[in-house]
Parts: sequence; structure tokens; C-alpha cells
Amino acid sequence: MKSADEIKRLFHSAAVQTNAAPDGAVFQTLKTAYTRTVEHKAAQREPSIWRFVVRNPSVKLAVAAVIVIACVIGLSLWRTTGSGIALADVLARMEQVKAYRVTTSAQFWSTKVTGEEPNKPYNFTEAHYTWLTSKEYGRKSTHGELDPNGGWSKTAESYCLPPKRTYISIWPKQKRYRRTQFHDRWAEQFEDSPYSPGRLVKRILEYKYESLGRSTIDGIEVEGFRTTDPNHVVHIINRGESEIQADIKIWVDVKTQLPVRCDSTYVLSYQNKKKYEHFVEHDFQWDIPVAAADFEPVIPDDYTGIVIKYPAHITEETAIEGLKVWGELLGKYPEKSPLQIEADDADVGDAVLRLAEKSETPAALRFKEEMKGLTDEQIKNKLVDFLMPIRGLDKFYMALQWYKKDRAYYGKTVTPKDADKVLMRWKVSENEYRVIFGDLHAETVAPEKLAELEAALPK
Amino acid sequence: MLQDKLLIWRLRRGNVDALRQIYDKYKAYLLKLAITLTGDACHSEDVVQDVFLKLAESYDRIGVHGNLRNFLITCLVNRIRTLRRDGRRHQAAQCDGSAIERPQACRPDQWAVVNEQMQRIGEAMVKLPVEQREVVTLRFEAGLGFRQIASMQNASVNTVQGRYRYGMDKLRSLLNGEVDK
Repeated sequence: MKSADEIKRLFHSAAVQTNAAPDGAVFQTLKTAYTRTVEHKAAQREPSIWRFVVRNPSVKLAVAAVIVIACVIGLSLWRTTGSGIALADVLARMEQVKAYRVTTSAQFWSTKVTGEEPNKPYNFTEAHYTWLTSKEYGRKSTHGELDPNGGWSKTAESYCLPPKRTYISIWPKQKRYRRTQFHDRWAEQFEDSPYSPGRLVKRILEYKYESLGRSTIDGIEVEGFRTTDPNHVVHIINRGESEIQADIKIWVDVKTQLPVRCDSTYVLSYQNKKKYEHFVEHDFQWDIPVAAADFEPVIPDDYTGIVIKYPAHITEETAIEGLKVWGELLGKYPEKSPLQIEADDADVGDAVLRLAEKSETPAALRFKEEMKGLTDEQIKNKLVDFLMPIRGLDKFYMALQWYKKDRAYYGKTVTPKDADKVLMRWKVSENEYRVIFGDLHAETVAPEKLAELEAALPK
Repeated sequence: MLQDKLLIWRLRRGNVDALRQIYDKYKAYLLKLAITLTGDACHSEDVVQDVFLKLAESYDRIGVHGNLRNFLITCLVNRIRTLRRDGRRHQAAQCDGSAIERPQACRPDQWAVVNEQMQRIGEAMVKLPVEQREVVTLRFEAGLGFRQIASMQNASVNTVQGRYRYGMDKLRSLLNGEVDK
């Protein structure tokens, strides 16, 4: 009778190998199944609301630049460098950081591809951002631009405060602010959003990078890494059909294993011009003490603002609910787009009030009755909830554009009575389109059927 | 473990390369586990393909903090049980239930190639009762604890330990003389 250890040794010496030819065939089957599932799930996925909360493109890009640090570390995670920095340790170290501050200096300019002065820079601007991020409180950022006197003036300030379910933007020059109240599940999503450095440490693991070796920055021994793969920011920049080139270099302190500096340049090529955007992240302060007061926005009394609420879910049902509100209020759908006015959020309330004033539908009469005698402040508060489905519809429609879902909207010619006419449509897969009809029922149709339906629309 | 978590994370983001890495990392391991449990290389190939297919189609069911290896092992064990149950149902009239478990000569283009020791273990293991075989395999090959195995078998820890003891005793008898080779 043999011991368990001897049997264990026999087990361990037993081995299975795989033959290459069937091996490739098996993986091909898996790959096909996986790709199909990924596409199917992508078609059903609800968009992350955080993509749309931050509206200013330059702020989006600045955020993108900050997170590049995380990206490059993410890319390198699989390997240790020749000089011995274990980048998995850098990732682990970054995740331990409770709060940090960083400054971003940015430059933007453009050049013409053709014409009299090709390659001559024009529209040169500079911007300055500071970021204070805390695991406990959220993130505060300030945005400054070069003023005519050569100094920096603060143009915007924003606070993303997941514990308070609030996102606040303040524009001092305009004396305006916007407070977005979000649902609990958004707070959970924030951890998964492109604007969460903690989450983004793990982002884009698949892109190629190279080691730049050791160097010294401000007397600190650093090790550099570089990637020229633009895919880590394409999802954030989303500049239509433009091509993006990227060159990102990051240096990590050899002793603390935390980033010290990051240089990133993006070239966005359009048909007749190129846009250049250069960011430098510097003055990192890791593990700094922060207090709740650092994340308390101060809004002077003379500032005007709006409060925005979005539905918890941004889905097809949200869109239908928004269209229903419009349909009942106006007796028809907005002509231009589901939001009627693709403008600043503040104008949406004004637009609804203006349009409702002219409408005589039962819903409009009820709405006007409810608003009668209210002060401006009370009307503003009342509109917060009333506009929620409409804002949800707006976000849904934006998401369709963002994810390039071949969206279309026919509110100009289709009314709530048109049960067989396409009001809105978007692509869900290669062979399927989702269609919301005039009476707000939804169906999935083949592209051929959609072509027939659209051909039948009034011109 | 960190690597597995990152693989899951990438897989959940639709990365085919992550699927490739998981496949390369676990295919031989799962085949070995399956052959130990079924004693049949051809049958094990189908089972392991099914497990990977399950992963490819249900990858979002593993949380980023989930355990990839345990997920695959659980899928494998469940798949073998299901097939065994179906096999029994379909062949109840003709055989004693061991039809799918008997070591067989495989086709020339077979996926899994086993060494001599593997062959011996496969042959010995099919002579153990199914529950004992599972416990011994999951303990030896998968390195699972009795509590985990008990949970998978929906049995008490004592029962699982008993199965392990009986299984090992029988395996010792069956392999007596083999382990010295």
C-alpha cells in the first residue's frame, strides 16, 4: 500500500498536451462564440452616464490625459522592466493612495493641411488644470486659461462627489453653476467611469508600450515608458471621424514607484486640418492629507444655476418615457431632435415652458395650471422632476451617437397617431435595427424592412 | 492570481487576446482534470470545449474579483455530471453507466495527448465510485479544500472526508506497484 504522497507524485507526473491542429480549431470555435456574445452584449449595454455628465470636450481630454498615467501603467502590468521595476507593484501602490493632487498644463493649436500656409500653427491656446482626487470624497478640478495680462484666470471649477450623489460645475466669469443630482447606481458606476483614476489604473491593458530606461527629473531617479497607441483615449475623445495619433511618455519614481510626470501629445487629423493637443502632468503630490472642506463647493449668492436630475437608467424605456412626455405635452413630437434644442442644459427648461405655453393638450393645460402663481424659484424646482424623462431621452439619443449606432429621428413628420411609422431608430447588430414607432411601441427589424419603412415616410 | 483578475477584467471588456491567454493557460490543466474524472480522453475533449464555450458565452458572470480557476473547475465538474446523468438516462437499458467513462482509443487527430502516467491514473480512477473519484481529483489535482468540495458535492465535510479516505484506499490498492515505476 503506497502513501498519499506517492500517489500525489504520480498525479503530478501525469501530463496532458494538446495537438496544434485541433488546438487552433477549438480556439477558433471559442473565438467565434465569444465575439458573437460580445457583440450581442454590446448591443444591449446601457451607456455609462458619466460619459455625458462632463460635457466640455477640453475638460474631457484633460481628464483623459491624466488617466493616461494609469493606462500606461496598466499596459505594462504584465511585464517587469529590464531594470527591475515591477509595474504590478506600481499599480498596487497607486491603489493604496488615498488622495493626490496633480497639475496639468495644456497647449492646443491647429495647422492647415493644404492652402497657402500649410503646417503653420494657428489658434494657439493654453490651459491649466488642477485635480484633487480623494477616495473618500471624490474629485475637485479647476480649469484656468491664460488671460491677456499673462496670468492664469480660473474659468471653471467642478466637483464630482459620489458620496453626495452630486456633480457640480461652476463658471465664475458667467456667475453660473450647474448641479447634477445622480442616482445611487451612478455612484457605483463612477468607480467604473472613465473619470475615476482608481478604476482607470486598470484600463487598456492590451496596448503596446516600450521602456524608455532610466532618467532623472528634478533630481528624482525615474524610469520611463512610452506608448503610441491612441486607443486608450479614443473612447473618451470621440471626435467623430478624425484619426488620432498619440505619443505618451510617463516617468515613475524608482523609489516610491509612483508617477512623477507624464507628457502626452495627440494629433487629430481631419480632412483639411490637424489639431494638436499637448498635455504635461506634473507636480504630483501623492498621499496628501485632505478634508471634507476641500470638496465643499462655494457658490456665491449672486450666481444663477440649474439643478439637473437624470433617470436611474438610460435605456430604450427611458427614451420612450421622454418621448411620451413630449407627445402628451405638445400633441406632437419635437421636430429637430428628441430634445428639441441641442443646446445648454439651462435652455431645456425654457424651451419646455415656451412650447407648453402654446400647446392646448390636456397635459399642457395641466402643466400650465400647476405652474400658475409659482415664483421663478418654485418653477425651477418643479421643472427638475418634470424634465427628468426628457433629459433621459436626450442622454439616450446622445449615447446612440457616441456608440455610432446609426441613429435617426423623424419627429418632423411622425406624430403620436402614426403607429406604423418610424419615429426613431438605431442599429443593434449587423442585421438588426431597433425602431420606436409613432405610437411609441418598439420593434426589432431587419435592415431591409427598415429601408421599406423609411421609404414610406412622408417627405 | 493578479494575472487571472486582469485576464477576467480584459475578457469582460471584449478582449479576444485575454480569451486566448486563458485558453492557453488552462486547456491542458482542464483536460487533465477531465480525464482524471472521466477516464476518457475523447470525452474529456468535448467536456473541456464545452467549458470554454461556457466561459466565452457567460464571461460577464465572473466578477472581476471572482476566481477564474474555480469558475472553470466548477463548470467542468457540473458538465461532467450533466453528461453522466444524460448518459445514464440514454443508456440505462444497455450498460452499467460506465460507458462514457471507459478509457478508449482516440482518433488520430485527437486534441489531448496523454503520457503513460496519465493513462494509468485514468484507468485506475474509473474504477472508483463517481463521488470518491471527484473528491480525490478535486483534492489532488485542483487543490481544493474539503469544505469547498463538500459545497460542490452538496454533502457534509465528514462525508467528503470519508469519500476521500475510501477513495485513497482503493486507489492505493489499484496503483500498488505502479507508483514505484
